[in-house]
Amino acid sequence: MKPQRNPSEERLLAYAAGTLSPPEAVVMAAHLAMRPANDAWVRDLQSVGGEFLDETPPSPLSNDALALAMARIETDAGKANHSAPLNDMPELPEPLRRYALGPWRWVGPGMRVRDVHAPRDGDCRVILLKIESGRETPKHTHGGVELTCVISGAYATETERFNVGDFEEADPDVLHQPRVVSDEPCLCVVALDGQIQLDGWVGKLIQPFVRL
Amino acid sequence: MTGLRVAVMFGSRLIQTFPLSVLVFMHAEPLSFASTPYRSNRVKALDSLPDPLLHDRLIEQIALRRDREAFAALFAYFAPRLKAWLIKSGATPGAAEDFAQDAMLTVWRKADLFDSSKARAATWIFTIARNRRLDMLRRDARPLPTPEIELAGDDVRRPDELLSMSQDADRVRDALARLSADHVEVLRLAFFMDNSHSEIAKHLGLPLGTVKSRIRNAMTKLRLILAPSEDAAR
Repeated sequence: MKPQRNPSEERLLAYAAGTLSPPEAVVMAAHLAMRPANDAWVRDLQSVGGEFLDETPPSPLSNDALALAMARIETDAGKANHSAPLNDMPELPEPLRRYALGPWRWVGPGMRVRDVHAPRDGDCRVILLKIESGRETPKHTHGGVELTCVISGAYATETERFNVGDFEEADPDVLHQPRVVSDEPCLCVVALDGQIQLDGWVGKLIQPFVRL
Repeated sequence: MTGLRVAVMFGSRLIQTFPLSVLVFMHAEPLSFASTPYRSNRVKALDSLPDPLLHDRLIEQIALRRDREAFAALFAYFAPRLKAWLIKSGATPGAAEDFAQDAMLTVWRKADLFDSSKARAATWIFTIARNRRLDMLRRDARPLPTPEIELAGDDVRRPDELLSMSQDADRVRDALARLSADHVEVLRLAFFMDNSHSEIAKHLGLPLGTVKSRIRNAMTKLRLILAPSEDAAR
């Protein structure tokens, strides 16, 4: 069996606790939909959160709090609108299906990118990245943390291979040049913080034209 | 009949014993809730029972009938706890109360998504509140869903799995009871203090490295207690 690349325990805990930034949480949700063992673990951690909430000593509310709450539910329009329409990519895991998607953009040979209209957090946002078989991204470093989850295909960095469902936390200091090693294109969902810094003279030359 | 207890076995291991009356309640009650009109003394009667499923029932009543008294009972229990949570994570009392109001309104709206076989009430409300918090933290809010527990899977569970799901709360509670006080404390802070490890370190007066390794150790322990076989696979 191929080794699995999983999120760190810290990041799983942060997701369960709701303290990941929204774009990071989107990539994590995609990963969990594809990796049931981690999903079960996160559910257990959420039960831990439920336990902690249950045993929290209550903080007294203001006198009119209940009346206000009852008034709010009386005037409430009713149930929340649960389902935004599905987007046009049925191959995406369920948690990504209800986000609107931007158009595909060419960002380099064999490399296309599409915005996922999930909530941003400052410079951090979610994109889909599709790279053809055998292609590699330009060498780059990141402005901040980059989280990646492989939806289809596979890529390899200098040291590791990432298959379907795998999760990568890229170190912002490491020069990164993933290469697609599957026969089919590799589709990933990525939470990207800051602009990618391209390396080398070609990279510097095309940097102004490549905005991911 | 009150003294009669029923043992729930998993293989040769005793998971939990219930008074027979609780098991009867668990199986019989959802049907009668659905078919009989709501009686206001029911909530009060339930309230005096040490019923671990009381809050689950209240949410189901809201889902079934938009039951306002059930909501009031749920609000009385959870809103002060949600407020306390937010105060611990650094919010002002006023903002914390607004948050509690907001989260409970979401509970009202989403009650029909509650599935007591997947999560018990406290976990579900915790998850709703955590998502509301994500909504508040995001800088350009859009009317789109953050990933939520109910989106993760609409799979139909088998009856034998239902039994194990209903044991989850007890499983997790028992596991927490077996962790050291230090480990429980550091996990609680990780849940309630926006997870900034340096903030936790400051709060405990410990070096950052100590806090990080303590959190990691606590999670390793928890994993071992909850799923000894799964852990070997990682």
